[in-house]
Amino acid sequence: MNNDTPPGLARLLPLLHFAPLLLLALPWFTQAGGTLDRISFVLVYGLFAMSLNLLVGYTGLVSFGHAMFFAFSAYGFCLLLGAGWGVVPAMLGAVGASTLLACVIGAVCVRLHETYFSFITLAMAMLLYNMIEIWAPVTGGDQGLTGMVRQATLFGTNLSAGLPRYEFIAAVFCASAFAMYALVSSSFGATLRMVRDNEPRSAYLGVNVYATKLAAFILAGLFAAVAGVLATLLVSGAYPTMAFWSTSGDAIFAILLGGSRVFYGPLAGALLLRLLVDGTTRYTGNTSLVLGALILAIVLVVRKGPVDWLNEWWQARKARPARRTANTGNAVNTSAAAVTADPAAEARPC
Amino acid sequence: MLSLRHVSKSFGGNHVIQDVSLEFATGSLSAVIGPNGAGKTTLFNLICGTLHPDRGEILLDGAPLHGLPPRQVARRGLARAFQVASLFPSFTPWQSFCAAAVPERLGVAGLLSGFPRQQGRQRADEVIALLGLDAVAHTPVEQLSHGDQKMVDIGIALCAHPRVLLLDEPTAGMGPEERWHMVETVRRLWQATGLTVLFIEHDMDIVFSVAEDVTVLSYGAILARGTPQAVRADPGVIRAYLGSYAKEAA
Amino acid sequence: MDFDALAQCLSSAPCLVTQSTSGLVIGLLMFLTASGLTLVFGVLGIANFAHGAFYMLGAYMAYTVYANTGSYLLAVAAAALFAAACGAVFERFVVRPLKGTDVMMQLVACFALVLIIDDAAKLIWGPAAVSLGVPASMRLPPVHFQGGVVPVFYLVLMGLSAAFGLAIWWLITRTRFGMTMRAVAELPSMASALGKNVNRYASAVLALGCGLAGVAGALAAPMRAILPGTGLSILLESFVVVVIGGMGSIPGALVAALLLGFTRSFGSIGFPLFTEGLMFLFMVAVLVLRPQGLFSRAGRTH
Repeated sequence: MNNDTPPGLARLLPLLHFAPLLLLALPWFTQAGGTLDRISFVLVYGLFAMSLNLLVGYTGLVSFGHAMFFAFSAYGFCLLLGAGWGVVPAMLGAVGASTLLACVIGAVCVRLHETYFSFITLAMAMLLYNMIEIWAPVTGGDQGLTGMVRQATLFGTNLSAGLPRYEFIAAVFCASAFAMYALVSSSFGATLRMVRDNEPRSAYLGVNVYATKLAAFILAGLFAAVAGVLATLLVSGAYPTMAFWSTSGDAIFAILLGGSRVFYGPLAGALLLRLLVDGTTRYTGNTSLVLGALILAIVLVVRKGPVDWLNEWWQARKARPARRTANTGNAVNTSAAAVTADPAAEARPC
Repeated sequence: MLSLRHVSKSFGGNHVIQDVSLEFATGSLSAVIGPNGAGKTTLFNLICGTLHPDRGEILLDGAPLHGLPPRQVARRGLARAFQVASLFPSFTPWQSFCAAAVPERLGVAGLLSGFPRQQGRQRADEVIALLGLDAVAHTPVEQLSHGDQKMVDIGIALCAHPRVLLLDEPTAGMGPEERWHMVETVRRLWQATGLTVLFIEHDMDIVFSVAEDVTVLSYGAILARGTPQAVRADPGVIRAYLGSYAKEAA
Repeated sequence: MDFDALAQCLSSAPCLVTQSTSGLVIGLLMFLTASGLTLVFGVLGIANFAHGAFYMLGAYMAYTVYANTGSYLLAVAAAALFAAACGAVFERFVVRPLKGTDVMMQLVACFALVLIIDDAAKLIWGPAAVSLGVPASMRLPPVHFQGGVVPVFYLVLMGLSAAFGLAIWWLITRTRFGMTMRAVAELPSMASALGKNVNRYASAVLALGCGLAGVAGALAAPMRAILPGTGLSILLESFVVVVIGGMGSIPGALVAALLLGFTRSFGSIGFPLFTEGLMFLFMVAVLVLRPQGLFSRAGRTH
């Protein structure tokens, strides 16, 4: 009843899922160092924002301390590299340790009321920041950890600069994005949305809400940790600002701008944010002021991110033909074609 | 069989449910009525696990339900529909049913399963047909009429093949035609599935034409219990609740 | 970690006096700030993520007024009024339009506001730290008590903080405004039944909460350097106090703030690197063992 093959071009739509792979081919079109660097930046912070969106957009948990997993993993990676570990083991170690941290913190935080949750996650991230600054012998204090990343070599290629760095970041991004997409399209992903939409009803349907939220928190932390490792390659080290509240805040802005209900929304948001910051820096040194004012304006006037707004308008347009045919008593087929037959439509990358 | 034995619940000095003992036979269609504040919804909350009784037991086929959290009560086969439709705004009715149909795959257990699952799709199609929601199966729930939303609310409760279905004022907020459509759907459903159905209702016409047995609650205690005819004629019930209705009907 | 130093201090009267007064001062200031936060959340259900910014505004305003008039009391009054006014404006233009929307929107709005205020502060007062220094009127010889030295200013601070605390307590428990506040906290649905007054009332509560933060900022200004961005650490401190004491509970905030104040002052001797961590651990312990806080209030806690 609901598996009609969509006509013509629409059949190719699922191929869009593989679009990110095009990133790997990008250097064939442009070798300009600046461009590749900027794209790397957007990919890394976009991945971070997408990981946070697993919590914010899909589960409804607004964490203001997500940067702690990003930073913890970055520092872990640098320390392990410095201890002589290879890139892959160091990455696994750093991401693993950060994921473990997410288990512990999540277990305590996830059952809290939403406002408490936001504040506590923020407090924990700032605690990590303080610890990083104070524990200078290990973390390099406010200078950060630099130098280790230069040793990052994979199969003989040095990953800390140039083309290999871009390809590595793009490849890890693609792998992470595909993994996350599989996650949100699964029954677990559907459960996240159920919990976000109506937590009590989900419990009445047999969902273990606490376990679900905790799993989401841990997985979000995992992907943030991956982004953290990539970030060290990008900025040649690990720095305390990675744990600062503004890093988490920027990710939230990216989600707001790019859309929390669309899978690649946060990536688009990271791009928009980068463009905004670059644009404002050209005219004034007070980027925070302008950015803050802009975000405030968006929140007060538009009430939701620009892309979310567009997405809703688009969904409303698609649904209208269905209502017309329902009124004329016409069969389900027409409505199935008008509204996409793919039940995971909302999670489709676009 | 769903049984309540000497169940009591108080909030501070307010005795909301006082020593209530009831039994609902498997496959029965029972109504719970009473004035506002009598404790009907609280009773449902106790059965579902939202509230825990201060005293007494609640058993389903001999197995205790009292003290269990709502999700475990649900896993034992109890489902509930709500006075104000409690839906999932970002899901269409069909998607909601697909999700609700396979509870063992919700949550962490569903990490490696696709959505919607084959089993879910089939059940969703069944429930849509059963409730006559074909025309709106793929419409976002926010755009549905009040009556359709209540129907979807019931559908969500039905998907996981419950043994007991609790309906909290299924016809609340509906016009006369919609009400009877709802009642007919519920009766057809009950006959087709052999579910044990309990419903709270204020419309006496509906109660007395559909229910097999009626329980009257007043101030947290059972005022009367029996067939619709018996309850309608009970002088205590007439005095406390039905008043002129009973005289007119009789 | 230097437990010997700590033990030494605890057994020596002068050290005990100095550290205790220090702890009291820190605690009382934290209490003032936190009471503003807990009031707003307990009564209106709003978590004011921008709370620290009002503290900062109070501190800067006090600095400017003192620099221009030389009167500390005037500076404190100005800070209080300025912060309160900002709070009312904040309620009218940010909080009210976002009432009932996604919590994320409210938090993002506060976060954006903090960015704006921090940068504006940098523009107006410069990025470098400024300090009020102990006001001329308070530069009296310190009081000696049991061998310990207590600066006069500390006594003034303690007195003022206690006075404000008492005033707030009296306002909440003895006036009609206070009773309405408590009623609204218990039964938020009644708020709409009260009609038009709700908006003005919400403005008043937020003005009060932000005003308290501003006063605390002004009172702390002589001791703490003022930087753009101090708002956040103040916010986190206040939040820890409120979590431990219980959202919406003023007595709870007092107890928790004093606890943390003493932890900080004695901690700076015994375990300077872990003071923050310890405060934090207290909070986590409360969250795990008694999530509604030590002095819970019905409704809105969890």
